[in-house]
Amino acid sequence: MRLPAASPDPRRDAFNELKQRLHGARAATAVALNSGIPTGLSGLDRLLGGGFPCGILVTLEGSRSSGRWTIVAGLLAAATRCGLGAVIDAGELYPPALAQAGVRLDRLLVVPARTPLGIARAADILLRSRVVRVVIMGAPVLRAAVWARLAGLAHRAGALLVVVTTAVDAELAASAGMRLGCALLRLAVFGSRGLWCTFAGFTVHTEVRKHKRLAPGASSCTRVGTPADGALVRERTLKRTPIQALASDR
Amino acid sequence: MLVCLRVPQYPLAVVLDGAPPGNVPVLVADRLERGRVIALDDRAYADGSRVGQTIAQAAAATSQARVVVYDPARGHALWNEMLDALDAVTPLIDDVREGLAFLDMRGIAGDAPVWMAQIREVSARFSMPLCLGTGANRFCSYAAAWIGDGTILTRGEEAQRLHSLPLQVLELDPDTQERLHLLGIATLGELAKLPHGPFERRFGRDAARRHEWARGIDRTPFVPRGHSVTIEASMFGEGQADDEAQVFFALRMVLTRICSDLGRCGKRANALQLRLELDSGDRPVLDVLLVAPTSDERSMFEVLRAKLEGLQFAAPVVGLHLRALRLEEGGEELALFSGGDIDTQRIAVTLARLEAVLGEPALRAELRDAHPLEERYAYEPFTIPKRHACEAPLATLPATVPQLRLLRVQETDVRVLRGEPAFVGTPFQAVLECAGPWRIEEGWFGAAVVRDEYDVLLEDGEMYRIYRQGARWYVRGVYD
Repeated sequence: MRLPAASPDPRRDAFNELKQRLHGARAATAVALNSGIPTGLSGLDRLLGGGFPCGILVTLEGSRSSGRWTIVAGLLAAATRCGLGAVIDAGELYPPALAQAGVRLDRLLVVPARTPLGIARAADILLRSRVVRVVIMGAPVLRAAVWARLAGLAHRAGALLVVVTTAVDAELAASAGMRLGCALLRLAVFGSRGLWCTFAGFTVHTEVRKHKRLAPGASSCTRVGTPADGALVRERTLKRTPIQALASDR
Repeated sequence: MLVCLRVPQYPLAVVLDGAPPGNVPVLVADRLERGRVIALDDRAYADGSRVGQTIAQAAAATSQARVVVYDPARGHALWNEMLDALDAVTPLIDDVREGLAFLDMRGIAGDAPVWMAQIREVSARFSMPLCLGTGANRFCSYAAAWIGDGTILTRGEEAQRLHSLPLQVLELDPDTQERLHLLGIATLGELAKLPHGPFERRFGRDAARRHEWARGIDRTPFVPRGHSVTIEASMFGEGQADDEAQVFFALRMVLTRICSDLGRCGKRANALQLRLELDSGDRPVLDVLLVAPTSDERSMFEVLRAKLEGLQFAAPVVGLHLRALRLEEGGEELALFSGGDIDTQRIAVTLARLEAVLGEPALRAELRDAHPLEERYAYEPFTIPKRHACEAPLATLPATVPQLRLLRVQETDVRVLRGEPAFVGTPFQAVLECAGPWRIEEGWFGAAVVRDEYDVLLEDGEMYRIYRQGARWYVRGVYD
């Protein structure tokens, strides 16, 4: 007895295709998920396998308006949900923007330090305390031994030490467990011009420069801010490309 | 026997602070704006002012009156200080309210005149007008003080002495007093003659209690006030401590005694006061605020050491005196699932170390309602939040938003075309996108501040918040 040939089912094909895509996406993930502190930027978290790994010194490199502090805000928002975060600041912090990004300000230590020695000593104390999950600091000029000690303290405390900087010197680069370059790709503008116009968000391009498990050059693009909701939001591509931007900072 | 200590018009006594009333009538109000009179002197009373009137009403009745606002915190502190001093007379003091207390003198040597003399002697330094009276129970002693300063109501003569007193002594509510007045009852003797059962059924339990008072019976229990506990320890040696290791060793020994006492009393300290005695005779005092109340010796030691490390003394240390301040009941607040909570002791030590190293405390930002960027937040010293339990899962994090970083305000060059910034900075950079202006206008009642704020995207890819104030342009922040 011969049965008629089964007619192709479009739903089955779609299901198989979806399975393959999901399998491929999982295979492409370089490191295990759920191993660090998420930033809330989906593309970057996916690239890093769930977020920033704990216990290392990370540098966020990029020029002004490159989205570095947007990533920092995401990290602090995640860290202050279950513990304390700390920012060693010289007066540039704008807390309302952090609060808007979900940072719990009552769990954020703002440490006023301005001199390189003061910044280093504050970071040392915070890391030794083992009560702070994330420490954010600028990049003062310090000796290689100091950076190595801070990286060691971060490792022992299981804390994340993030250094936000424009350019990285050799001493800092040697101690950093992870280096990320940041740049803006596009700016989303809501409205046309004038009073009713606002900067709704931007697209951050992040490129891995140093990582234990990822090859240098791996990158991600993530949109930050209000999602596009039709024709009201227009995007302006910035003139300098991320590659140019990163190269110019080196 | 009980001694009643009454300070008539206590707020007035606090305000005058022992000074004579002077020629000008004095009105004491609870607050200046829409306040009411809570005490007044005899001159103001004679002019027609009364307690409970508004300031305007009282001032209308008493011309040229001096209106003084009562400070409740000071009044409370003064009263407690006075009662603390009276501990020297008797340990059992019932603090009814500010201006009224009962002292239980059973077992104290002497008789009523001697006790009252002791009370006056102890209270003399507070310069308060006292009315003292002695009686077998609270009401009798109160009535004795009401009759006159120094009156003694002995057992058996209560009915005779209370008979002629007016009903005001009972502090009845106005409604009951009015009803009794309509019934023709004006004195305690007339009230005492009424049968107790029908009186209670008609006027209620509270009035019935006062009916018993009129008969010299007071069943109100005597509730002694709690005593303030002082926990302190000292160490004065014959030798000198020349290096910090010796000082720290002595400090640790003193702290052990302090923490032992704290543990015995079931208390925790919110602050410490360390007084050092130097060989030169100087006595520097260190006030150390603990971020979280604690009785943990190690935490206290670390905090004190962090404070001491930043100091330099001109002479060797010969003595230490440590005192635990701002005590509160002990016991840590624990939740059932508190494993992930923040360690408050470690935070306290960390904050102390940061302050010792940097010279200023770690801060915490707090948001405020304001229009200018720089006034939308304020910093205050970091304190540990009460509860630390983990919150919602990370999936519920709000969307990340572009972050503004404040720059030091500096003037910049801006070229305006068609009413908008077109070129910014030196050398000029073209503005690719411009949002605004958002007008910030405040201080219209004083020196007005008017500024127009813009967000600009420059051709080099940087985004700034700039503003124009008058004819000048300034850079305020950068988006990052």
